[in-house]
Amino acid sequence: MSIQFEKVSHTYSPDTPFSYAALKNVDLEITEGKMTAIIGATGSGKTTLVQHLNALLLPTAGKLTILDRVIQADEHPKKLKSLRKDVGLVFQFPEYQLFEETILKDIIFGPKNFGVSEEDAIKKAKEVLKLVDLDESYMDKSPLDLSGGQKRRVAIAGILAMDPKVLVLDEPTAGLDPQGSLQMMSLFRRLNKELGKTVLIVTHDMEHVLNYCDDVVVVKDGEIYCKEDVKSFFKRNTLCEELNILPPAIIQLKNACNQCGMHLPDDCFTVDELASAISKQVKRHE
Amino acid sequence: MNSFVLGKYIPLDSCIHRMDPRAKIMAMLIVLISIFFPVGWIGYGVLAVCIIGVVLLSKLRFDFIWKALKPMLFMLVFLLVLNVFVLKTGTLLFTIFGLSVYSDAIFQTLFIAVRLILMIMITTVLTATTKPLDLTLGIEDLLQPFQKIGVPSHEIAMLISIALRFIPDLIEETQKIMRAQASRGVDLKEGTMKEKIVAILSLIVPLFVSAFQRAEDLANAMESRGYAPGQERTRYKILKIKGRDIILLIGASCLSIGMIVIAFAV
Repeated sequence: MSIQFEKVSHTYSPDTPFSYAALKNVDLEITEGKMTAIIGATGSGKTTLVQHLNALLLPTAGKLTILDRVIQADEHPKKLKSLRKDVGLVFQFPEYQLFEETILKDIIFGPKNFGVSEEDAIKKAKEVLKLVDLDESYMDKSPLDLSGGQKRRVAIAGILAMDPKVLVLDEPTAGLDPQGSLQMMSLFRRLNKELGKTVLIVTHDMEHVLNYCDDVVVVKDGEIYCKEDVKSFFKRNTLCEELNILPPAIIQLKNACNQCGMHLPDDCFTVDELASAISKQVKRHE
Repeated sequence: MNSFVLGKYIPLDSCIHRMDPRAKIMAMLIVLISIFFPVGWIGYGVLAVCIIGVVLLSKLRFDFIWKALKPMLFMLVFLLVLNVFVLKTGTLLFTIFGLSVYSDAIFQTLFIAVRLILMIMITTVLTATTKPLDLTLGIEDLLQPFQKIGVPSHEIAMLISIALRFIPDLIEETQKIMRAQASRGVDLKEGTMKEKIVAILSLIVPLFVSAFQRAEDLANAMESRGYAPGQERTRYKILKIKGRDIILLIGASCLSIGMIVIAFAV
């Protein structure tokens, strides 16, 4: 088991009037090699949760196991650097972390910090630039001259260049145009499927959850509400209502059809599946 | 960085909190000036008692004041070392490492320490009991008379309130960037000098970029809501001097006059 939370709590500013418990007794297992979505309302503790994964935040209570490294409350962890190399964390709006004069320098900044030689880092930088759909002509430009979406890609490339085993993304598509965010999501899916990386992604977009992820974790008020695989999650119609989540369009359509008297099976998750289910029903009536 | 208390407003309900910011600023200035007179142990004792009394009235906890004083400890040590080197008057106390320590050096340093501590206490009380916005309103009003000689009092007040307003934002932003760069392997605590410089650069450049971005956004937002510097503006909050404010000012003035008398009579 690669990532495991055992009764992890995190309280901000403990022992002060501003004390705030962001995570309460969290038990969670993330399966290696899967793409897991983390969803939940704003302020529910998603960001706090993911910042534990590379020990940026340390649990105030409980125990955390990440890739065989154990982090316990009240104990200063060792080997933080190697953990941060193995768990790449892309923050919300990561474009603000760009600071070097050229894009190339910025991308190799991370790998060089982790002891990769300059040549290897440059080689890797060229690979990841291609991955995020930017060509090599960008390498010598200043990151500050790019558009918002391009900056985002460079920032993500900077993390990918570290070649992490686990990739954690905090709302990577927020503020991107629909096409750009689809490209991003399929990139993450490819990294997960082809390179075998464990991907965790914080998102508000249920379409992304349904179409790209394997598992889904729901965080509510600092606690894990449920963890399921995506299909069984969306099969349970009442769950979305309980959580006040607008289900993906395809599920909404299926529900609407069922309300009109059709009896469509629960496991239609694509346009094709739904279409064939509907046509079966229609034929049966004829 | 959450332990950073200098200039932090603590919302409590006390008579000091309710006082007019103008009266508080004036009283603080008067007391600050009197701290600078060489008033000897008796004078500093009286000042200390008065200031501690004000702290008690403000309902601020003493560990909060202590936190505000902590950053100054380093400076005090520095002053002590400097004084020991420089001052060679008074009676010889002892010699260490070939350095002779004289009584005046110790006393001078203690006086400076007491002055600094009293100054920090009184300014901490002011900023902890006055909302930043009220503080700037007070400053604006107090600068009003100087407008005739070309001091842009309103602009100065606006400048201060904007600066104060953005301190927590910038601290938050700094923490955010630090975390993002830590994820990329930046270690501000360890590493060689060169690595540390790069680490600090990776923090400062994004911070500047975002600060300028914020400044531009704010300027645009203000302009689009019709803000024009130098124009006559009305105020939502009207400050009024009340009885307790006058008592505070009279008290501060009496204290100050007393100190002047001690300083020149003794």
